[in-house]
Amino acid sequence: MAIKILNILIVLFVPFLMLGVIKKTKAFWGGRYGASVFQPLYDFIKLMKKDFVISTTTSKVFRITPVIVIASVLFAALFVPLASSSAIVNIEAGFVVFAYILSFSKFFSLISAMDTGSSFEGMGASREACFTTIVEPAFFMLLASIMALSGNYTFDSLGKIIENAGGYGVLICIFAVLVLFIMILTEGSRVPVDDPATHLELTMIHEVMILDNSASDLALISWANGIKMLLLSSLIAAIVIPQGLPTGLSVLAYLALMFVISVIIGTIESATARIRMSHVFEFIFVMSSFALIVLSLVVARMFGG
Amino acid sequence: MYSRIFGMEVMNNFFIGILFFILSGFIASLFNKKSKITVLSILCFAGSLFCISPVLNILFGGENLVAQYNFNPVFGPINFVIDPLSAFFIVVICIMSLMGVIYSKGYLKPYLDKVKNINSHLIFLPLLIASMLLVVSCQNAFAFLIFWEIMSLSSFFLVIFESDKKDVLKAGIKYLVFMHISVIFIIIAFALCTINAGGYDFSLFSQSLKENSHLANLVFAFAFIGFGTKAGFVPFHNWLPDAHPAAPSHVSAIMSGVMIKTGIYGILRVLSFYATPSKALAFAVLIISVISALYGVLYAITQHDLKRLLAYHSIENIGIIGIGTGVGMLGLAYGQIQIALIGFAGAILHILNHSIFKELLFLSAGSVYIKTHTRDIEILGGLIKSMPFSAVLFLIGSVAICGLPPFNGFISEFLIYFSMLKCLAVKDFFVLIALLFSIAGLALVGTMAVLCFTKAFSIIFLGMPRSDNATAPKSDSEKSMLFPMGFLAILTLLIGIFPQYVFDVVLKPACFIANTQAIPYDSCANLMQTISLCAFGFIAFTLVLLLVKFKFSNKVEMHQTWGCGYDRANNRMQYSASSYASPFLSMLRPLFKKIFDIEKPKQLFPKSAHFSLHIDDIEEAYVINPLVKFDEWFLSKFEAIQSGNIQSYIKYGLIFLVLIIIGSLFIG
Repeated sequence: MAIKILNILIVLFVPFLMLGVIKKTKAFWGGRYGASVFQPLYDFIKLMKKDFVISTTTSKVFRITPVIVIASVLFAALFVPLASSSAIVNIEAGFVVFAYILSFSKFFSLISAMDTGSSFEGMGASREACFTTIVEPAFFMLLASIMALSGNYTFDSLGKIIENAGGYGVLICIFAVLVLFIMILTEGSRVPVDDPATHLELTMIHEVMILDNSASDLALISWANGIKMLLLSSLIAAIVIPQGLPTGLSVLAYLALMFVISVIIGTIESATARIRMSHVFEFIFVMSSFALIVLSLVVARMFGG
Repeated sequence: MYSRIFGMEVMNNFFIGILFFILSGFIASLFNKKSKITVLSILCFAGSLFCISPVLNILFGGENLVAQYNFNPVFGPINFVIDPLSAFFIVVICIMSLMGVIYSKGYLKPYLDKVKNINSHLIFLPLLIASMLLVVSCQNAFAFLIFWEIMSLSSFFLVIFESDKKDVLKAGIKYLVFMHISVIFIIIAFALCTINAGGYDFSLFSQSLKENSHLANLVFAFAFIGFGTKAGFVPFHNWLPDAHPAAPSHVSAIMSGVMIKTGIYGILRVLSFYATPSKALAFAVLIISVISALYGVLYAITQHDLKRLLAYHSIENIGIIGIGTGVGMLGLAYGQIQIALIGFAGAILHILNHSIFKELLFLSAGSVYIKTHTRDIEILGGLIKSMPFSAVLFLIGSVAICGLPPFNGFISEFLIYFSMLKCLAVKDFFVLIALLFSIAGLALVGTMAVLCFTKAFSIIFLGMPRSDNATAPKSDSEKSMLFPMGFLAILTLLIGIFPQYVFDVVLKPACFIANTQAIPYDSCANLMQTISLCAFGFIAFTLVLLLVKFKFSNKVEMHQTWGCGYDRANNRMQYSASSYASPFLSMLRPLFKKIFDIEKPKQLFPKSAHFSLHIDDIEEAYVINPLVKFDEWFLSKFEAIQSGNIQSYIKYGLIFLVLIIIGSLFIG
């Protein structure tokens, strides 16, 4: 029980720290001192207090979307294994529920962007919708392959790759982590897919969709985005952190892993530029091909010599 | 033959209901213009009550209803048996058709004065419902084909409601041709059964096919092509995207929501005859279904005609139903009865779900059409302000059709995913590969549906109006149109929140198809409970958050949309449907044929310029059209025969008779 409460607190607060660490890392590589790692939390509180500026073109859809987005992302957290425990709602085929709840939030963020009648936001929405069509099948293929290997259809199967896959275990783990990492970059709208720092509207994807959101709406959406990154990182944690560690150590390992992932994301953002829009598809397709590699490794393990 | 005639009196209620349907059109046409459709609705309501009341019990575990009629000495007695599979379809047909009929009151109002053949429309509408009910309850192959044909013909007359329009007539004739090609395959399938079984009754078919599995598979293959054409599986789907836009909205709703499902009914019925399909057949169904689903949703994204878009989505959903059926068949072929049950349960639940949300979407599309007089979504926009109820209902339908929680579409897709995952445990190379790709395929279909419906909803209802058509509506549709839509929307939500009860119901037909007694699958029932709780929690959580948000909202200041410093943005600068779909479509360029119609601006002060883009179905462009061209060419060779000269026609008759006599001499 205590661990579940701890997990809920992690879902609520660690996303701010992850965003803070990413910014700090970028400042470090840029030779700056940078803002405190708590800055995203301060921003959140500041935004919650502000007044709204809302476009006259918009309808109620625009007003309710931030709430739906945060509610569905928080609900999706119930289905994901977090620090040192299985998912709170640990059901078979839980990843389908997880992915479809996130799709639900995406549906609303897409129509909310279109609601403003702005061509910039339409552009962002159209790109975001397009990227999802590449990301989601790869995600499903990856998880279904891993689950076929262990015959366990809950998220617990992620922790059992090594014991089930024998000699292929390490390879499967590496590619699975890579798939999930590219998914974090895409869904969390980080460089090289998207650049959360730029203010040139034409090159942005997720950031441009929320151009017209203000005050608590903007705060909730940014928070939800952070939580989404945390949840996907938790899947990496489920693969990487060995099972059977003592609870305290396992929680520490989890938090350390979140820190490492944030630092890696920050480093990538400092070291590379955003990919040209027409090449972003190719980058995301790398994810599909890695998922295919996992699939073929699983098949090789199950039917190979 | 059936030794025991059970529940004859109860069964009579069913036939009284059908009689109500058949007569309602004739009675309604006697009334004056204003009350015609009200009378029709009341009669159809009564008919539905009569039909549903005796069969409902079967879905909760009651015994089958059987009735036998000895009309015809040649084809044997005609049996009507209502088993769980029939009962399920009867309930779906009655409820969904009734909603369509009620809706037609508001929808047909503008046509009452304009169109002359309104009475024939009102006669064929309930006739279609009655024939569908007879198709799913009749157990005699010969009678089945007769009812099937009545169904096709009555729906044909409904499609060509606005027969003065050339497009409508063309679409109607295409539909007619497709239906008659399909019925040939059904006849072949039934003929093979009849020769083997020595009778027309389905119970005889079932006995003989169980012993002869090669023949059974052949029969299933023919039946799949025949019924699959009705259902709209790729590559037999081509009539669908033409017929649905041509028909009035309530008719497209009934056709897409219910009628094409009779095709699925036929497939499931033939499967239930023997219930041990070969592995190859199971794979074939699975693969065709995945392709149908992907093809349907891909072309839906390319469409800007709202009803055409919805028609392509019917193909997608038929594909999803087919995936469930395919997994069920795989389960049967590999002897995994529990997996088969979940697969079939998913497919059957998706039949119900699709008929609910597709009907909801077609009806909302109709209410948009009645107010704006266009189906082209590119010139709509901002309708949520003038038609808030239609907008919300369309939104509910869109979310449900994308299979997103907490609505009903999610439950059936989840069951299908679950059956596929469970089926991975069959340690077979081909099963593993096929299923892993099907899972990814279904995920792709889901996200493409999201893309398509975010496009459709936001271009029609959100943003600024794009033309005069979009500013035309001053008020929302009439109550008689909104009521059926609201009812369907509530159903989508109820099934999404309480899946466990529906799951119990759909398990009965699933067991029937698999020819097995109900095997409870504990984990699945528990899953449904959990999902129900989660859905409930999710809705409650969201509502509380919304309440908090609007209760404690900070001050709101209205301002125009941020245009990066540009403050003269107008409605023509909005993102359009084609531009929204363009990044995705550009990835899949070879899969369709783009037809551009461009006039570039010329000279210094260009006067006229236009651009339009039309996307053609590749099957139509590369298969159907060449076939038709070949047909025309081939038949033109025989033009010489048709001289118009009566003497030469008599001469042909004479030659023919002589040939027959000579032939019979040789053969005899």
